[in-house]
Amino acid sequence: MIFFELSQRNIRLNWLRSLLAVLGIVIGVAAIASMGILGNSLTLSVTASLSSVGDSVTVVPSIGGGGMGGPTTANEQITDRQVQQILRAAAPNDVVPVYSGVDRYEIGGDRGVVTVYGITPEDMAVLVDLADGVYPRTTGGALAGATFAENNKLKPGSRLTLGGETIRVVGILEEQGMGFDINPDFALIVSDRFYSHKYEQDGYDMVIVKVRDINDIDAVKDAIDRTLNRRGDDVVTVYDSRAILEVITEAFNQIALFTTAIGGISLLVAGVSIFNVQMMSVTERIKEIGIIRSIGTKRGEVLRMFIYESLILGGVGAGIGGILSFAGGYVVSIIMLQTTEYLFYPSSLVYIPYGIAIGLVVTLLSGLYPAWKAANLNPIEALRYE
Amino acid sequence: MEEDIGPAGPGNGTQPVIRLEGVSKVYSLPFGDVIALDKVSLTIMPGEFIAIMGPSGSGKSTLLNLIGSLDVPSEGRLYIDGEDTSELSDDELTELRRDHIGFIFQQFNLIPLLNVFENVEYPMILKTRQSIRKSRKAHDLLMRIGLTDSMLAHKPKELSGGQQQRVAIARALINDPAILLCDEPTGNLDTKTGEVIMDLLKEVNASGKTVIMVTHDPDVATYASRKITLVDGRIV
Ligand SMILES: Nc1ncnc2c1ncn2[C@@H]1O[C@H](COP(=O)(O)OP(=O)(O)O)[C@@H](O)[C@H]1O
Ligand SMILES: [Mg+2]
Repeated sequence: MIFFELSQRNIRLNWLRSLLAVLGIVIGVAAIASMGILGNSLTLSVTASLSSVGDSVTVVPSIGGGGMGGPTTANEQITDRQVQQILRAAAPNDVVPVYSGVDRYEIGGDRGVVTVYGITPEDMAVLVDLADGVYPRTTGGALAGATFAENNKLKPGSRLTLGGETIRVVGILEEQGMGFDINPDFALIVSDRFYSHKYEQDGYDMVIVKVRDINDIDAVKDAIDRTLNRRGDDVVTVYDSRAILEVITEAFNQIALFTTAIGGISLLVAGVSIFNVQMMSVTERIKEIGIIRSIGTKRGEVLRMFIYESLILGGVGAGIGGILSFAGGYVVSIIMLQTTEYLFYPSSLVYIPYGIAIGLVVTLLSGLYPAWKAANLNPIEALRYE
Repeated sequence: MEEDIGPAGPGNGTQPVIRLEGVSKVYSLPFGDVIALDKVSLTIMPGEFIAIMGPSGSGKSTLLNLIGSLDVPSEGRLYIDGEDTSELSDDELTELRRDHIGFIFQQFNLIPLLNVFENVEYPMILKTRQSIRKSRKAHDLLMRIGLTDSMLAHKPKELSGGQQQRVAIARALINDPAILLCDEPTGNLDTKTGEVIMDLLKEVNASGKTVIMVTHDPDVATYASRKITLVDGRIV
C-alpha cells in the first residue's frame, strides 16, 4: 500500500531519530517482559521447593512462654503430655515429634557442625524420602541429607563421628528443597532414642503435623491452639508452612510488580519519544500533507499513513524487545536461579507477547494524536506552509 | 457580475462544468473579517480555457481553491459538474478532487518521498486502491509530456523546474479529470520554459479539458479563451 510505503520511506529518511524512538520501545518491552519472566520463574521455583511442605503444621514452644505454674526449664520444650494432646487434637493426621539441635561431626579427618534431628524411625518416612539405602532400624543408624551427603561423599554404610560417638549412615535422603518444618538437606537424622539418650533431652523441640487434606489446615491449627494454649497463655506457637509460602510468594510478586513498574516507566518514556518523533514528522511535512490532501488523499488515509509510521517504529521496537527479553530472562534466570528450567513454562513465556502487546498499545496511543493532527490540517493552510 | 462571453460560453446548450451563484468567502480574523470573495457569480462551460487575473490579494487563489473544492463557500452555491458542493462531506469533496480535478501549482508541489514515476502514479493508486507498479498509463503520459525514461527513477528535487512542472501536469492528468486548475503555473519558471509549459496546457485544453488558470502575466493570459479579472474579491 502506498501509505505504508510513504511511512516507511519517511522513517528511513529520518533514520537516526527513528532509531532512538525504536530503542526506547526496545528497552521498555525488554524490561517489562524479562522482569515478568523473572518474577514468574522466581515464583515457580519457590513454589516448587516449598510445595512438599505445603501441607504441614508446625508446633514449637513459645519463646518466653511456658506454664505459669510448675517448674520451667530454661530451654522451653514440648512435653510428652503436650504431644498426646496434639495427637488428640490433630487426629487422624500424622503427628511427628522432633528433636533438633546442632553438634560437631568428623568424617575421616574433616570436621564441621551439622544440624541433627531426632525422629522415631517409624515416623521418618512421613517427613523425608530416601534416595538410597534404608531407614534406620537400630539406634546407631542415621540418615544423611542430600547436600550433606554429597559434600562429604557419604554413601549407605559410611561411618562418621557425631559428638564423639560413631554412627553409621544407612540411608541418603532425596533432595527436599527449602522447608519450614525441618531442613533435612544439610542435616543428619538420627533415631529419637539415640538423640534423647545422647543429649539427655526429654522434651521435644517441635511437633510436625502432616495434614492429609490441605483444606483441614486451619481446623487442625485451631484445634491445637485451643487445646494447648487453653488458659490464654502462649504455651506453643502453631504455624503452617502454607501461610509462610503465601508470604514468600507475595514478597516475590511484589518484587515482580516493582520491576514491571520500572519496565512500565521505560515504556512511558518510550511513548513520549514516539509522540515527539511523530509530532516532528507531522510538523516537517505540513506542506507535503497539504499536497497529498489537495490531490485527493482523504483524512482517514493521512491518519493511516502516520499511524503506520508509529506502528513501524513500535513494531520493530517491540519485536526486538521481545527477542531481547527472552535473552534477558535467560541470563537473569541463570544468574539468580542457577537454572533456566522455569523460562520455558507457558506462564513465563506469556510475558513476551504480553510485553510486545503493551509496547504496541503504547506506540499506538502515542502515535494517535500526531496522526489525528496531521489528518485534520486544513489543506489550504498546509499547502501555503513553508 | 459581468462576464466576457467566451467561445464556449453559456448559452450553447451543454451543462456548465462549474457554476458559482453569489459565492462569498469570508475569513474571520481576530482584528475583523476579511472578505476574500464578494458574491461572485460565474459559469464555466466544458472545454473553456480561463485566465483569472487581478492584483495580489484580490481573491484569485481563494476562487481557485473553492472551484477545486479544497474549501467551501461561506455563502452562496457552487456547482461542480452539476453537483452542489455544499452538500458534500469532506471525504466526498476529496474524492471529487481526486477523480475530477487536476491541480498544478506555482511551486510544482511534487511529493518529495516519491520518485517521478511514483508521483504520477500516486493519484491513480488513490483512486483504484491498488499499486500497479510501472503502469503503462503513467509511463505513456510521462513520455507524451516530454520526459525521458532516465528521469523516471529520480526524486523531484533532482529535476529542473520545467521538468518538475511537466511531472506535475502528468500527475494532474493521470485520473482523466474534467477540470485542470493552475495557480500561476509559470510563476517559478523562466519565460522560455514557461512558454513550453503553456503550450502543453494549451494542448491539454485542446484535448477537451477545461483549464482554469490564475496568472498575473498578461502574456501568459493570451493563451486563454476567456479572461476574468478580480479586484477586491469581485469580478470586474
Ligand atoms: N486562510 C486565510 N486566512 C485569512 N485570510 C486569508 C486566507 N486566505 C486568503 N486570505 C485573504 O483573502 C484575500 C484574498 O487572498 P488570495 O485569494 O490568496 O489572493 P490572491 O491569490 O489574489 O493574491 C487576501 O486579503 C488574503 O489576505
Ligand atoms: Mg495567490
